[in-house]
Amino acid sequence: MSHLPLYWRVCLTNWAVFCVGTLVLALSPARVSERVLASEAVVLAVGLAAMATLNALLLLRSLAPIDRVIRTMDSVDHLSPDQRLTAQGKGAGARLVASYNAMLERLETERSTSNAKALAAQEAERHRIAQELHDEVGQSLTVVLLGLKRLERQVPDEVRPELAAVRESARTGIDDVRRVARQLRPGVLEDLGLHSALASLATDVGALGRTTVRRTIAPGLPDLPQDRELVIYRVAQEALTNVARHAHAATAELSLCKVGDKVVLTVTDDGRGSADLVAGAGISGMRERALLVGAELRVTSAPGRGTTVLLEVPL
Amino acid sequence: MTPTPAKIRILLADDHTLVRRGVRLILDAEPDLEVVAEAADGAEAVAALRDVEVDLVILDVAMPRMTGLQAARTIARMRTPPKMLMLSMHDNEQYFFEALKVGASGYVLKSVADEDLVKACRTAIRGQAFVYPGAMSALVRDYLDRLNRGESLPRTVLTEREDEVLKLIAEGHSTREIARELTISYKTVERHRENILAKLGLRDRTQVTRYAIRAGLIEP
Repeated sequence: MSHLPLYWRVCLTNWAVFCVGTLVLALSPARVSERVLASEAVVLAVGLAAMATLNALLLLRSLAPIDRVIRTMDSVDHLSPDQRLTAQGKGAGARLVASYNAMLERLETERSTSNAKALAAQEAERHRIAQELHDEVGQSLTVVLLGLKRLERQVPDEVRPELAAVRESARTGIDDVRRVARQLRPGVLEDLGLHSALASLATDVGALGRTTVRRTIAPGLPDLPQDRELVIYRVAQEALTNVARHAHAATAELSLCKVGDKVVLTVTDDGRGSADLVAGAGISGMRERALLVGAELRVTSAPGRGTTVLLEVPL
Repeated sequence: MTPTPAKIRILLADDHTLVRRGVRLILDAEPDLEVVAEAADGAEAVAALRDVEVDLVILDVAMPRMTGLQAARTIARMRTPPKMLMLSMHDNEQYFFEALKVGASGYVLKSVADEDLVKACRTAIRGQAFVYPGAMSALVRDYLDRLNRGESLPRTVLTEREDEVLKLIAEGHSTREIARELTISYKTVERHRENILAKLGLRDRTQVTRYAIRAGLIEP
């Protein structure tokens, strides 16, 4: 019975109940007169009620597990990986759970590959633009800057202040180009490695003056593939940006160390914390990135108790 | 006839021809500096050093084939390495520390090359470190942090003005901004900055590196 399609189970249950009713009517001494008597009406009503109850009980057995599964489906958080429903028994509910889990699996695989592609494309594009800004625009402006400096010595005194002002604009231009390029792509990660890149993130947040950032980066960490380093860097960046923007913290701590066969990044602060933060937009971005390299992200935050972001990257 | 003092001979390496030309014109305009060789990448710079004798090498950090940092590492292993300066677009103290680690005497941002490069060349030749302003504020901030935490540090005697300048540097203000803020000249701020560096014991490359390692700003 439990392997039948749900439609047939409902039909069979109904038929069975009808059959029982019909048999009872045919075999029992109960008779219905042409004009229904009060006593007969009572018997009919009792029989009908009995059939309805039996039907309800039988259908409940088949359908209740399905409702239960639907309720649990609604509570599934699509961004935390490996979250699966657990099947009870082996009825229709169990089969629904199994096919739902299989669908989740497929969706997750598909989503993480398409996210990986999108993020890779985004990073590549950022890289290209940053490089172009540095190598083309920045260098041309440098040429302008140096040329103006030289010209300044050769022109009459009255033109000099004006030329100096133009030179300052060129300098501002270079600074802007560099700032934009730096936001797009951390050159320091590529040129000097993760250690320096994290140190520089910590210094940047510290330089804003509101929060003192302490960093503990364990020496001799194993070399990680580039995509993992980038995920660690971006998560640390997002976490520290959150600290600087929202936490109102006096101190924050950034640490990276090896625990077992994982590299663990922790960013904690002693700021005001927030219960909503855990579901915030920045956090889901971090989680997406973590998913890409099979890393696990945990964020804990409570009002008045600060925030902790923990990223575990498998080696 | 008195012989003119020997000019500082410079090798200039940058992959952008026009930038190289601009830098060269700036340097050649100084009476005591002379660019005697040019290179378009790190490998070329290392090769050129075999043929030409120079006192100072200026290397762009980002170059194809062999980056400036890699070239500096190679050059530092030579028997009598010339002094080195790194030239870069990146405004990030980590590059400065890395430059010191690979053996350079200083780090000059391209956006202030017109003001700082000549001074940096002379500082390097004197055997001192040209401390890039961004790194200076990181170092000074760390120094002040430790003072606040009550760590016993060799409390240097700074004048009141130097103390003011120190705090502004820690807040990340540029020399120009500090000059405006305190209504003193650019040159005066520069002098205060030099004095502060000397008093904090951040005069030469090894001292700065040691301090930065102790402060946890870089990996040993």
